[in-house]
Amino acid sequence: MKQTCIFQDTETPEKTTDLLAAAVRMYGRDGFESHVVLVNASPETFTGRFHHVIQVAEGLVADNDPRAITEILETLHQTHRFDSILIPGTTLGKMIAPRLAWRLKTGLATGVTDITVRDGRIEITRPAGSGTILETILPEGPGPVMMTIRTHAFEHPPEETVPTRISQYSRPVTTRSTLTRLGVEQNIIESRDIRDSEVLVAGGGGAARCFPALKPLADALNGAVAASRKLVDQGIARRHIQVGQSGKTVSPKVYLALGIHGSMQHLAGLRGAVSIIAVNTSLHAPICRLSDMVVQGDACEFIEKLMDKMMCNPHKNT
Amino acid sequence: MPMKLICTVKFVPDPDSLTAGPNRLILNPDDACALAFALAVKSGDPGVTVEAVTLGPLSVRPHMEDLLRLAVDRGTLIWDPGLEDSDAFVTSKVLSRYIAGRPCDCVLTGSYSLDGGSAQVPVQIAESLGLDQMPGVIRIDPDRFDPTRAVFQAVDETGVTTWEMAMPGVLSLTRESGYKLPYPALTDLRRDVSEDVNILTSRDLGFSADQVGRASSLTRVAGSSPVTYGEKDPKIVGTDDDGITQVVDFLKKKGVCR
Repeated sequence: MKQTCIFQDTETPEKTTDLLAAAVRMYGRDGFESHVVLVNASPETFTGRFHHVIQVAEGLVADNDPRAITEILETLHQTHRFDSILIPGTTLGKMIAPRLAWRLKTGLATGVTDITVRDGRIEITRPAGSGTILETILPEGPGPVMMTIRTHAFEHPPEETVPTRISQYSRPVTTRSTLTRLGVEQNIIESRDIRDSEVLVAGGGGAARCFPALKPLADALNGAVAASRKLVDQGIARRHIQVGQSGKTVSPKVYLALGIHGSMQHLAGLRGAVSIIAVNTSLHAPICRLSDMVVQGDACEFIEKLMDKMMCNPHKNT
Repeated sequence: MPMKLICTVKFVPDPDSLTAGPNRLILNPDDACALAFALAVKSGDPGVTVEAVTLGPLSVRPHMEDLLRLAVDRGTLIWDPGLEDSDAFVTSKVLSRYIAGRPCDCVLTGSYSLDGGSAQVPVQIAESLGLDQMPGVIRIDPDRFDPTRAVFQAVDETGVTTWEMAMPGVLSLTRESGYKLPYPALTDLRRDVSEDVNILTSRDLGFSADQVGRASSLTRVAGSSPVTYGEKDPKIVGTDDDGITQVVDFLKKKGVCR
Protein backbone atom coordinates (compact mmCIF):
# COMPACT_ATOMS: atom_id res chain seq x y z
CA MET A 1 0.00 0.00 0.00
CA LYS A 2 1.44 3.37 -1.03
CA GLN A 3 1.62 6.16 1.54
CA THR A 4 0.84 9.68 0.39
CA CYS A 5 1.23 12.81 2.48
CA ILE A 6 -0.80 15.94 1.76
CA PHE A 7 -0.06 19.26 3.41
CA GLN A 8 -3.07 21.37 4.23
CA ASP A 9 -4.08 24.23 1.93
CA THR A 10 -3.72 27.07 4.40
CA GLU A 11 -5.47 29.56 2.10
CA THR A 12 -8.53 27.46 1.29
CA PRO A 13 -8.62 24.51 3.73
CA GLU A 14 -11.58 22.84 2.00
CA LYS A 15 -9.50 22.55 -1.19
CA THR A 16 -7.02 20.27 0.59
CA THR A 17 -9.21 17.27 -0.12
CA ASP A 18 -8.93 17.87 -3.87
CA LEU A 19 -5.28 16.83 -3.69
CA LEU A 20 -6.51 13.30 -3.03
CA ALA A 21 -7.46 13.23 -6.72
CA ALA A 22 -3.77 13.52 -7.59
CA ALA A 23 -3.00 10.50 -5.41
CA VAL A 24 -5.84 8.55 -7.04
CA ARG A 25 -4.27 9.28 -10.44
CA MET A 26 -0.98 7.81 -9.25
CA TYR A 27 -2.09 4.78 -7.28
CA GLY A 28 -5.75 4.14 -8.04
CA ARG A 29 -8.65 4.65 -5.65
CA ASP A 30 -7.71 1.85 -3.26
CA GLY A 31 -3.97 1.83 -3.78
CA PHE A 32 -2.86 4.22 -1.09
CA GLU A 33 -3.24 5.42 2.48
CA SER A 34 -3.63 9.17 2.84
CA HIS A 35 -2.05 11.34 5.52
CA VAL A 36 -3.00 15.00 5.87
CA VAL A 37 -0.87 17.35 7.95
CA LEU A 38 -2.70 20.25 9.59
CA VAL A 39 -1.25 23.38 11.15
CA ASN A 40 -3.64 25.45 13.25
CA ALA A 41 -6.65 23.79 11.66
CA SER A 42 -9.40 21.65 13.05
CA PRO A 43 -9.39 17.96 12.05
CA GLU A 44 -13.20 17.72 11.75
CA THR A 45 -13.28 18.81 8.11
CA PHE A 46 -10.88 16.04 7.16
CA THR A 47 -12.28 13.21 9.22
CA GLY A 48 -13.66 10.51 6.97
CA ARG A 49 -11.76 11.83 3.95
CA PHE A 50 -8.20 10.92 4.98
CA HIS A 51 -6.93 7.74 6.61
CA HIS A 52 -4.61 9.69 8.90
CA VAL A 53 -5.03 13.24 10.16
CA ILE A 54 -1.84 14.54 11.74
CA GLN A 55 -2.54 17.67 13.69
CA VAL A 56 0.45 19.80 14.62
CA ALA A 57 0.05 20.75 18.27
CA GLU A 58 -1.48 24.17 18.79
CA GLY A 59 1.14 26.86 19.20
CA LEU A 60 4.02 24.62 18.16
CA VAL A 61 4.65 26.59 14.96
CA ALA A 62 3.25 29.67 13.30
CA ASP A 63 1.14 28.80 10.28
CA ASN A 64 3.29 31.08 8.13
CA ASP A 65 6.68 29.65 9.12
CA PRO A 66 7.96 27.67 6.13
CA ARG A 67 11.16 26.54 7.81
CA ALA A 68 9.46 25.08 10.89
CA ILE A 69 6.79 23.39 8.78
CA THR A 70 9.47 21.95 6.51
CA GLU A 71 11.18 20.44 9.53
CA ILE A 72 7.92 18.85 10.69
CA LEU A 73 7.23 17.35 7.26
CA GLU A 74 10.79 16.03 7.06
CA THR A 75 10.43 14.39 10.47
CA LEU A 76 7.10 12.86 9.50
CA HIS A 77 8.64 11.48 6.31
CA GLN A 78 11.40 9.83 8.33
CA THR A 79 8.70 8.08 10.37
CA HIS A 80 6.21 7.17 7.65
CA ARG A 81 8.44 6.89 4.56
CA PHE A 82 5.91 8.50 2.25
CA ASP A 83 5.86 7.44 -1.38
CA SER A 84 4.60 10.85 -2.38
CA ILE A 85 4.25 14.27 -0.80
CA LEU A 86 1.70 16.64 -2.32
CA ILE A 87 1.67 20.31 -1.42
CA PRO A 88 -0.86 22.94 -2.55
CA GLY A 89 0.58 25.51 -4.95
CA THR A 90 -0.13 28.40 -2.58
CA THR A 91 2.48 30.99 -1.65
CA LEU A 92 3.24 29.10 1.56
CA GLY A 93 3.27 25.78 -0.29
CA LYS A 94 5.77 27.15 -2.78
CA MET A 95 7.97 28.25 0.12
CA ILE A 96 7.83 24.85 1.81
CA ALA A 97 8.03 22.33 -1.05
CA PRO A 98 11.47 23.29 -2.45
CA ARG A 99 12.94 23.33 1.07
CA LEU A 100 11.54 19.90 1.81
CA ALA A 101 12.69 18.51 -1.55
CA TRP A 102 16.16 19.87 -0.83
CA ARG A 103 16.26 18.21 2.59
CA LEU A 104 14.96 14.90 1.24
CA LYS A 105 17.23 15.13 -1.82
CA THR A 106 14.34 14.42 -4.11
CA GLY A 107 13.03 16.04 -7.27
CA LEU A 108 10.15 18.47 -7.25
CA ALA A 109 7.60 19.18 -9.95
CA THR A 110 5.84 22.50 -9.42
CA GLY A 111 2.51 23.89 -10.60
CA VAL A 112 1.28 20.43 -11.57
CA THR A 113 -1.94 20.29 -13.58
CA ASP A 114 -2.16 16.63 -14.58
CA ILE A 115 -0.76 13.20 -13.70
CA THR A 116 -0.82 9.99 -15.68
CA VAL A 117 0.77 6.58 -15.20
CA ARG A 118 2.32 4.98 -18.27
CA ASP A 119 3.95 1.56 -18.10
CA GLY A 120 4.08 1.88 -14.34
CA ARG A 121 5.88 5.24 -14.44
CA ILE A 122 4.36 8.39 -13.05
CA GLU A 123 4.28 11.18 -15.62
CA ILE A 124 3.63 14.66 -14.30
CA THR A 125 2.34 17.50 -16.46
CA ARG A 126 2.98 21.14 -15.75
CA PRO A 127 2.76 24.34 -17.81
CA ALA A 128 6.08 25.95 -18.76
CA GLY A 129 7.42 28.46 -21.24
CA SER A 130 5.13 31.23 -20.00
CA GLY A 131 2.15 28.93 -20.36
CA THR A 132 2.78 28.15 -24.00
CA ILE A 133 3.85 24.55 -23.53
CA LEU A 134 3.03 21.60 -21.31
CA GLU A 135 6.04 19.74 -19.96
CA THR A 136 6.01 16.09 -19.02
CA ILE A 137 8.21 15.54 -15.97
CA LEU A 138 9.53 12.19 -14.84
CA PRO A 139 10.62 11.90 -11.21
CA GLU A 140 14.03 10.22 -10.92
CA GLY A 141 15.94 8.94 -7.94
CA PRO A 142 14.88 7.04 -4.85
CA GLY A 143 13.14 9.85 -2.96
CA PRO A 144 9.42 10.34 -2.61
CA VAL A 145 7.53 11.81 -5.56
CA MET A 146 7.08 15.46 -4.67
CA MET A 147 4.95 18.08 -6.31
CA THR A 148 3.10 21.30 -5.77
CA ILE A 149 -0.39 21.16 -7.23
CA ARG A 150 -1.86 24.13 -9.04
CA THR A 151 -5.04 25.30 -7.35
CA HIS A 152 -8.20 24.05 -9.09
CA ALA A 153 -6.21 21.59 -11.22
CA PHE A 154 -7.84 18.59 -9.55
CA GLU A 155 -11.24 17.96 -8.04
CA HIS A 156 -11.92 15.12 -5.67
CA PRO A 157 -15.64 14.29 -5.54
CA PRO A 158 -17.21 13.49 -2.19
CA GLU A 159 -17.29 9.74 -1.85
CA GLU A 160 -17.73 7.09 0.79
CA THR A 161 -15.89 7.89 3.95
CA VAL A 162 -12.79 6.13 5.18
CA PRO A 163 -11.88 5.31 8.78
CA THR A 164 -9.72 8.13 10.10
CA ARG A 165 -7.04 8.00 12.75
CA ILE A 166 -6.21 11.35 14.34
CA SER A 167 -2.81 11.92 15.89
CA GLN A 168 -0.96 14.91 17.21
CA TYR A 169 2.53 16.06 16.30
CA SER A 170 4.22 17.69 19.27
CA ARG A 171 7.95 17.13 18.86
CA PRO A 172 10.00 20.27 19.51
CA VAL A 173 10.91 22.25 16.40
CA THR A 174 14.48 23.48 16.13
CA THR A 175 14.37 25.55 12.93
CA ARG A 176 12.35 28.73 12.88
CA SER A 177 11.94 31.57 10.49
CA THR A 178 12.88 35.11 11.47
CA LEU A 179 9.94 36.51 9.50
CA THR A 180 7.71 38.89 11.42
CA ARG A 181 4.44 40.13 9.96
CA LEU A 182 4.21 43.88 10.52
CA GLY A 183 0.95 44.62 8.72
CA VAL A 184 -1.58 43.60 6.12
CA GLU A 185 -3.56 45.70 3.67
CA GLN A 186 -7.01 44.88 5.03
CA ASN A 187 -8.99 46.21 2.11
CA ILE A 188 -7.36 43.66 -0.14
CA ILE A 189 -7.70 40.81 2.31
CA GLU A 190 -11.43 41.41 2.45
CA SER A 191 -11.84 41.31 -1.30
CA ARG A 192 -13.21 38.25 -2.99
CA ASP A 193 -10.97 35.47 -4.32
CA ILE A 194 -11.37 35.45 -8.10
CA ARG A 195 -11.06 31.65 -8.10
CA ASP A 196 -14.32 31.36 -6.22
CA SER A 197 -16.36 33.66 -8.42
CA GLU A 198 -18.86 32.40 -10.97
CA VAL A 199 -18.62 35.64 -12.93
CA LEU A 200 -15.38 37.45 -13.63
CA VAL A 201 -15.21 40.89 -15.18
CA ALA A 202 -11.61 41.07 -16.34
CA GLY A 203 -9.76 44.05 -17.74
CA GLY A 204 -6.77 44.20 -20.03
CA GLY A 205 -4.85 46.97 -21.77
CA GLY A 206 -7.99 48.07 -23.62
CA ALA A 207 -9.74 48.74 -20.32
CA ALA A 208 -6.83 50.44 -18.57
CA ARG A 209 -8.32 53.94 -18.69
CA CYS A 210 -11.65 52.84 -17.23
CA PHE A 211 -10.52 50.05 -14.90
CA PRO A 212 -12.41 51.43 -11.85
CA ALA A 213 -15.64 51.05 -13.87
CA LEU A 214 -15.26 47.26 -13.80
CA LYS A 215 -16.19 47.07 -10.13
CA PRO A 216 -19.80 48.35 -10.45
CA LEU A 217 -20.31 46.01 -13.41
CA ALA A 218 -18.91 43.07 -11.45
CA ASP A 219 -21.15 44.00 -8.50
CA ALA A 220 -24.19 44.14 -10.79
CA LEU A 221 -23.41 40.65 -12.03
CA ASN A 222 -22.59 39.39 -8.53
CA GLY A 223 -19.08 38.73 -9.75
CA ALA A 224 -15.52 39.83 -9.11
CA VAL A 225 -12.96 41.94 -10.93
CA ALA A 226 -9.92 40.30 -12.49
CA ALA A 227 -7.08 41.62 -14.64
CA SER A 228 -4.48 40.65 -17.18
CA ARG A 229 -0.77 40.82 -16.41
CA LYS A 230 -0.49 44.00 -18.44
CA LEU A 231 -2.58 45.94 -15.94
CA VAL A 232 -0.70 44.42 -13.02
CA ASP A 233 2.65 45.36 -14.54
CA GLN A 234 1.35 48.89 -15.10
CA GLY A 235 0.39 49.12 -11.44
CA ILE A 236 -3.30 49.54 -12.29
CA ALA A 237 -4.40 46.22 -10.77
CA ARG A 238 -3.05 44.12 -7.92
CA ARG A 239 -1.39 40.80 -8.54
CA HIS A 240 -3.89 38.82 -6.47
CA ILE A 241 -6.55 39.40 -9.14
CA GLN A 242 -4.27 38.51 -12.06
CA VAL A 243 -5.41 35.68 -14.32
CA GLY A 244 -2.88 33.63 -16.23
CA GLN A 245 0.30 31.64 -16.06
CA SER A 246 1.90 33.92 -13.47
CA GLY A 247 -1.45 34.66 -11.85
CA LYS A 248 -4.39 32.49 -10.99
CA THR A 249 -6.23 29.76 -12.84
CA VAL A 250 -9.94 30.51 -12.81
CA SER A 251 -13.04 28.57 -13.74
CA PRO A 252 -15.99 30.96 -13.81
CA LYS A 253 -19.31 30.29 -15.45
CA VAL A 254 -18.89 33.53 -17.42
CA TYR A 255 -15.65 35.40 -18.13
CA LEU A 256 -16.07 38.91 -19.49
CA ALA A 257 -12.75 39.77 -21.14
CA LEU A 258 -12.69 43.53 -21.58
CA GLY A 259 -9.90 44.82 -23.76
CA ILE A 260 -7.84 41.67 -23.20
CA HIS A 261 -5.72 40.58 -26.14
CA GLY A 262 -5.37 36.99 -24.95
CA SER A 263 -1.70 36.09 -24.80
CA MET A 264 -0.86 32.42 -24.31
CA GLN A 265 0.11 33.27 -20.75
CA HIS A 266 -3.32 34.75 -20.05
CA LEU A 267 -5.19 31.92 -21.74
CA ALA A 268 -3.28 29.44 -19.56
CA GLY A 269 -5.33 30.67 -16.62
CA LEU A 270 -8.63 30.36 -18.46
CA ARG A 271 -8.81 26.68 -19.17
CA GLY A 272 -11.70 26.18 -16.79
CA ALA A 273 -13.85 29.10 -18.00
CA VAL A 274 -17.21 27.83 -19.26
CA SER A 275 -18.26 30.82 -21.38
CA ILE A 276 -16.26 33.80 -22.54
CA ILE A 277 -17.51 37.13 -23.83
CA ALA A 278 -14.69 39.13 -25.37
CA VAL A 279 -14.91 42.85 -25.96
CA ASN A 280 -12.18 43.97 -28.27
CA THR A 281 -11.60 46.45 -31.06
CA SER A 282 -9.87 43.71 -33.05
CA LEU A 283 -11.56 40.50 -34.10
CA HIS A 284 -8.07 39.07 -34.58
CA ALA A 285 -7.20 39.17 -30.88
CA PRO A 286 -6.45 35.56 -29.83
CA ILE A 287 -9.08 35.63 -27.11
CA CYS A 288 -11.81 36.07 -29.72
CA ARG A 289 -11.21 32.58 -31.10
CA LEU A 290 -11.98 31.05 -27.71
CA SER A 291 -15.04 33.17 -27.02
CA ASP A 292 -18.73 32.37 -27.27
CA MET A 293 -19.53 35.96 -28.09
CA VAL A 294 -17.35 38.79 -29.35
CA VAL A 295 -18.34 42.40 -28.99
CA GLN A 296 -16.32 44.38 -31.49
CA GLY A 297 -15.71 47.77 -30.00
CA ASP A 298 -14.21 49.82 -27.24
CA ALA A 299 -14.26 48.14 -23.82
CA CYS A 300 -14.93 51.34 -21.88
CA GLU A 301 -17.85 52.29 -24.11
CA PHE A 302 -19.20 48.76 -23.74
CA ILE A 303 -19.11 48.92 -19.93
CA GLU A 304 -21.04 52.18 -19.92
CA LYS A 305 -23.69 50.92 -22.32
CA LEU A 306 -24.09 47.56 -20.60
CA MET A 307 -24.52 49.26 -17.23
CA ASP A 308 -27.12 51.59 -18.72
CA LYS A 309 -29.00 48.68 -20.25
CA MET A 310 -28.96 46.73 -17.01
CA MET A 311 -30.09 49.76 -14.99
CA CYS A 312 -33.01 50.23 -17.40
CA ASN A 313 -33.97 46.63 -17.05
CA PRO A 314 -36.90 46.43 -14.61
CA HIS A 315 -35.60 43.01 -13.55
CA LYS A 316 -32.15 44.32 -12.77
CA ASN A 317 -29.88 42.25 -10.62
CA THR A 318 -29.98 42.29 -6.91
CA MET B 1 28.63 49.22 7.00
CA PRO B 2 28.05 49.09 3.21
CA MET B 3 26.13 46.03 2.13
CA LYS B 4 27.28 43.26 -0.16
CA LEU B 5 24.46 42.17 -2.45
CA ILE B 6 24.39 39.15 -4.73
CA CYS B 7 21.77 38.90 -7.46
CA THR B 8 21.10 35.57 -9.14
CA VAL B 9 19.96 36.20 -12.70
CA LYS B 10 18.82 34.13 -15.65
CA PHE B 11 18.59 34.93 -19.32
CA VAL B 12 15.46 33.50 -20.90
CA PRO B 13 13.92 33.39 -24.39
CA ASP B 14 11.97 36.55 -25.10
CA PRO B 15 8.32 35.46 -25.28
CA ASP B 16 7.55 38.47 -27.47
CA SER B 17 10.31 37.69 -29.96
CA LEU B 18 8.94 37.37 -33.45
CA THR B 19 12.09 35.99 -35.03
CA ALA B 20 12.20 32.44 -36.29
CA GLY B 21 14.84 30.06 -34.99
CA PRO B 22 16.67 30.53 -31.71
CA ASN B 23 14.85 33.07 -29.60
CA ARG B 24 16.39 36.34 -28.55
CA LEU B 25 17.43 36.20 -24.90
CA ILE B 26 16.35 38.75 -22.34
CA LEU B 27 17.12 39.17 -18.67
CA ASN B 28 14.25 37.44 -16.84
CA PRO B 29 11.89 40.31 -15.87
CA ASP B 30 11.63 39.41 -12.18
CA ASP B 31 15.43 39.08 -11.97
CA ALA B 32 15.79 42.47 -13.67
CA CYS B 33 13.70 44.01 -10.89
CA ALA B 34 15.92 42.41 -8.24
CA LEU B 35 19.04 43.72 -9.92
CA ALA B 36 17.47 47.15 -10.40
CA PHE B 37 16.74 47.37 -6.68
CA ALA B 38 20.33 46.38 -5.86
CA LEU B 39 21.69 49.05 -8.18
CA ALA B 40 19.33 51.62 -6.65
CA VAL B 41 20.78 50.80 -3.21
CA LYS B 42 24.28 51.17 -4.64
CA SER B 43 23.46 54.51 -6.22
CA GLY B 44 22.53 55.79 -2.76
CA ASP B 45 25.67 54.40 -1.16
CA PRO B 46 28.68 53.93 -3.42
CA GLY B 47 30.24 51.60 -0.83
CA VAL B 48 27.61 48.95 -1.61
CA THR B 49 28.82 46.18 -3.89
CA VAL B 50 26.55 44.36 -6.32
CA GLU B 51 27.37 41.04 -7.91
CA ALA B 52 25.33 39.27 -10.58
CA VAL B 53 25.75 35.54 -10.94
CA THR B 54 24.17 33.29 -13.53
CA LEU B 55 24.31 29.65 -14.53
CA GLY B 56 23.96 29.44 -18.27
CA PRO B 57 25.66 28.81 -21.57
CA LEU B 58 28.59 30.92 -22.74
CA SER B 59 26.27 32.60 -25.23
CA VAL B 60 24.92 34.75 -22.39
CA ARG B 61 28.36 36.29 -21.82
CA PRO B 62 27.53 39.46 -23.83
CA HIS B 63 24.45 39.92 -21.65
CA MET B 64 26.59 39.67 -18.53
CA GLU B 65 28.91 42.27 -20.04
CA ASP B 66 25.89 44.56 -20.43
CA LEU B 67 25.22 44.20 -16.70
CA LEU B 68 28.79 45.24 -15.91
CA ARG B 69 28.14 48.40 -17.94
CA LEU B 70 25.24 49.16 -15.57
CA ALA B 71 27.58 49.51 -12.57
CA VAL B 72 27.37 45.89 -11.45
CA ASP B 73 30.70 45.38 -9.66
CA ARG B 74 31.19 41.74 -10.51
CA GLY B 75 29.54 39.43 -13.03
CA THR B 76 29.99 35.70 -12.73
CA LEU B 77 28.99 33.15 -15.33
CA ILE B 78 29.05 29.51 -14.29
CA TRP B 79 29.12 27.08 -17.18
CA ASP B 80 30.67 23.98 -18.64
CA PRO B 81 29.19 21.32 -20.92
CA GLY B 82 28.66 19.03 -17.93
CA LEU B 83 26.06 21.44 -16.58
CA GLU B 84 23.81 20.97 -19.58
CA ASP B 85 20.39 19.46 -18.75
CA SER B 86 20.77 20.31 -15.06
CA ASP B 87 17.40 20.45 -13.33
CA ALA B 88 16.38 22.97 -10.68
CA PHE B 89 17.91 20.87 -7.91
CA VAL B 90 21.36 20.87 -9.53
CA THR B 91 21.06 24.56 -10.42
CA SER B 92 20.30 25.31 -6.76
CA LYS B 93 23.23 23.16 -5.67
CA VAL B 94 25.72 24.93 -7.94
CA LEU B 95 24.52 28.47 -7.20
CA SER B 96 24.36 27.78 -3.46
CA ARG B 97 27.93 26.57 -3.36
CA TYR B 98 29.10 29.62 -5.24
CA ILE B 99 27.20 32.03 -2.97
CA ALA B 100 28.37 30.18 0.15
CA GLY B 101 31.92 31.04 -0.88
CA ARG B 102 31.11 34.74 -1.17
CA PRO B 103 29.43 35.81 2.06
CA CYS B 104 26.96 38.61 1.49
CA ASP B 105 24.26 40.54 3.32
CA CYS B 106 21.37 39.73 1.01
CA VAL B 107 20.69 37.50 -1.98
CA LEU B 108 18.26 39.16 -4.36
CA THR B 109 16.45 37.02 -6.93
CA GLY B 110 13.37 37.05 -9.10
CA SER B 111 10.30 35.14 -7.95
CA TYR B 112 9.64 33.34 -11.24
CA SER B 113 11.47 32.75 -14.46
CA LEU B 114 9.54 33.14 -17.68
CA ASP B 115 10.82 29.89 -19.18
CA GLY B 116 10.61 27.32 -16.40
CA GLY B 117 8.62 29.18 -13.84
CA SER B 118 9.21 26.55 -11.14
CA ALA B 119 10.27 29.17 -8.56
CA GLN B 120 12.20 26.60 -6.56
CA VAL B 121 15.81 27.73 -7.05
CA PRO B 122 15.64 30.83 -4.77
CA VAL B 123 13.97 28.77 -2.03
CA GLN B 124 16.54 26.00 -2.29
CA ILE B 125 19.41 28.47 -2.24
CA ALA B 126 17.95 29.82 1.00
CA GLU B 127 17.49 26.34 2.44
CA SER B 128 21.03 25.36 1.50
CA LEU B 129 22.47 28.48 3.13
CA GLY B 130 20.21 28.25 6.20
CA LEU B 131 18.46 31.52 5.39
CA ASP B 132 14.92 32.84 5.24
CA GLN B 133 13.38 33.63 1.89
CA MET B 134 10.31 35.50 0.72
CA PRO B 135 8.79 35.45 -2.77
CA GLY B 136 6.51 38.07 -4.31
CA VAL B 137 8.43 41.06 -2.96
CA ILE B 138 7.07 44.29 -4.46
CA ARG B 139 8.82 46.90 -2.34
CA ILE B 140 11.83 46.99 -0.03
CA ASP B 141 12.05 49.90 2.39
CA PRO B 142 15.47 51.44 1.61
CA ASP B 143 15.63 53.02 5.07
CA ARG B 144 15.15 49.66 6.78
CA PHE B 145 17.40 47.54 4.58
CA ASP B 146 20.74 46.88 6.25
CA PRO B 147 23.05 43.97 7.14
CA THR B 148 20.83 43.02 10.09
CA ARG B 149 17.27 43.23 8.77
CA ALA B 150 15.02 44.08 5.82
CA VAL B 151 11.49 45.47 5.92
CA PHE B 152 9.54 44.88 2.74
CA GLN B 153 6.12 44.25 1.22
CA ALA B 154 5.17 41.03 -0.52
CA VAL B 155 2.05 39.90 -2.34
CA ASP B 156 0.33 36.58 -1.86
CA GLU B 157 -3.12 35.17 -2.61
CA THR B 158 -4.86 37.47 -0.21
CA GLY B 159 -3.12 40.79 -0.53
CA VAL B 160 -0.05 42.74 0.45
CA THR B 161 1.78 42.04 3.69
CA THR B 162 4.59 44.02 5.26
CA TRP B 163 7.30 41.78 6.69
CA GLU B 164 10.52 42.13 8.61
CA MET B 165 13.18 39.49 8.03
CA ALA B 166 16.66 39.06 9.48
CA MET B 167 19.57 39.49 7.10
CA PRO B 168 21.36 37.75 5.51
CA GLY B 169 18.34 36.42 3.71
CA VAL B 170 16.93 35.83 0.25
CA LEU B 171 14.41 38.29 -1.17
CA SER B 172 12.67 37.33 -4.41
CA LEU B 173 11.13 40.22 -6.29
CA THR B 174 8.36 40.33 -8.88
CA ARG B 175 7.76 42.49 -11.92
CA GLU B 176 4.97 44.18 -10.00
CA SER B 177 7.65 45.91 -7.93
CA GLY B 178 8.31 48.16 -10.89
CA TYR B 179 12.03 48.56 -10.14
CA LYS B 180 13.66 49.49 -13.45
CA LEU B 181 17.23 48.95 -14.54
CA PRO B 182 19.04 52.21 -15.21
CA TYR B 183 20.29 53.14 -18.65
CA PRO B 184 24.06 52.83 -18.99
CA ALA B 185 26.05 56.03 -19.24
CA LEU B 186 27.41 56.76 -22.69
CA THR B 187 30.97 56.23 -21.46
CA ASP B 188 29.98 52.86 -20.00
CA LEU B 189 28.35 51.83 -23.26
CA ARG B 190 31.75 52.13 -24.91
CA ARG B 191 33.65 50.47 -22.09
CA ASP B 192 35.42 47.26 -23.02
CA VAL B 193 34.41 44.74 -20.36
CA SER B 194 34.98 41.65 -22.46
CA GLU B 195 37.62 40.34 -20.06
CA ASP B 196 35.77 41.31 -16.90
CA VAL B 197 33.15 38.56 -16.70
CA ASN B 198 34.28 36.00 -14.17
CA ILE B 199 33.79 32.59 -15.79
CA LEU B 200 33.75 29.47 -13.63
CA THR B 201 33.15 25.80 -14.28
CA SER B 202 31.47 23.27 -12.01
CA ARG B 203 34.92 21.80 -11.42
CA ASP B 204 36.12 25.20 -10.15
CA LEU B 205 33.38 24.90 -7.53
CA GLY B 206 34.53 21.45 -6.51
CA PHE B 207 31.89 19.36 -8.28
CA SER B 208 32.73 16.12 -10.00
CA ALA B 209 31.13 15.21 -13.32
CA ASP B 210 28.58 12.89 -11.69
CA GLN B 211 27.41 15.60 -9.30
CA VAL B 212 26.02 17.95 -11.95
CA GLY B 213 24.05 17.90 -15.16
CA ARG B 214 21.76 15.13 -16.23
CA ALA B 215 23.56 12.53 -14.08
CA SER B 216 22.71 14.27 -10.84
CA SER B 217 19.30 15.67 -11.71
CA LEU B 218 16.29 14.36 -9.80
CA THR B 219 13.68 15.20 -12.41
CA ARG B 220 13.76 14.80 -16.17
CA VAL B 221 11.72 16.58 -18.80
CA ALA B 222 10.54 13.68 -20.93
CA GLY B 223 8.76 15.82 -23.49
CA SER B 224 6.73 18.91 -24.14
CA SER B 225 3.82 19.87 -26.31
CA PRO B 226 2.26 23.19 -27.25
CA VAL B 227 -0.78 24.18 -25.29
CA THR B 228 -3.93 24.00 -27.41
CA TYR B 229 -7.29 25.46 -26.69
CA GLY B 230 -10.69 24.51 -27.99
CA GLU B 231 -11.59 27.16 -30.53
CA LYS B 232 -15.18 28.29 -30.85
CA ASP B 233 -17.24 29.97 -33.52
CA PRO B 234 -18.22 33.13 -31.67
CA LYS B 235 -21.25 35.23 -32.30
CA ILE B 236 -20.03 38.69 -33.26
CA VAL B 237 -21.93 41.80 -32.26
CA GLY B 238 -21.17 45.51 -31.95
CA THR B 239 -21.55 48.03 -29.14
CA ASP B 240 -24.81 49.36 -30.57
CA ASP B 241 -28.12 48.82 -28.79
CA ASP B 242 -28.76 45.53 -30.55
CA GLY B 243 -25.31 44.21 -29.60
CA ILE B 244 -25.68 45.18 -25.95
CA THR B 245 -29.16 43.60 -25.85
CA GLN B 246 -27.70 40.36 -27.18
CA VAL B 247 -25.02 40.41 -24.47
CA VAL B 248 -27.68 40.89 -21.79
CA ASP B 249 -29.70 38.03 -23.29
CA PHE B 250 -26.58 35.85 -23.24
CA LEU B 251 -25.92 36.71 -19.60
CA LYS B 252 -29.57 35.94 -18.75
CA LYS B 253 -29.31 32.61 -20.53
CA LYS B 254 -26.26 31.79 -18.42
CA GLY B 255 -28.19 32.66 -15.30
CA VAL B 256 -25.92 35.49 -14.16
CA CYS B 257 -28.26 38.32 -15.10
CA ARG B 258 -31.98 38.34 -14.42
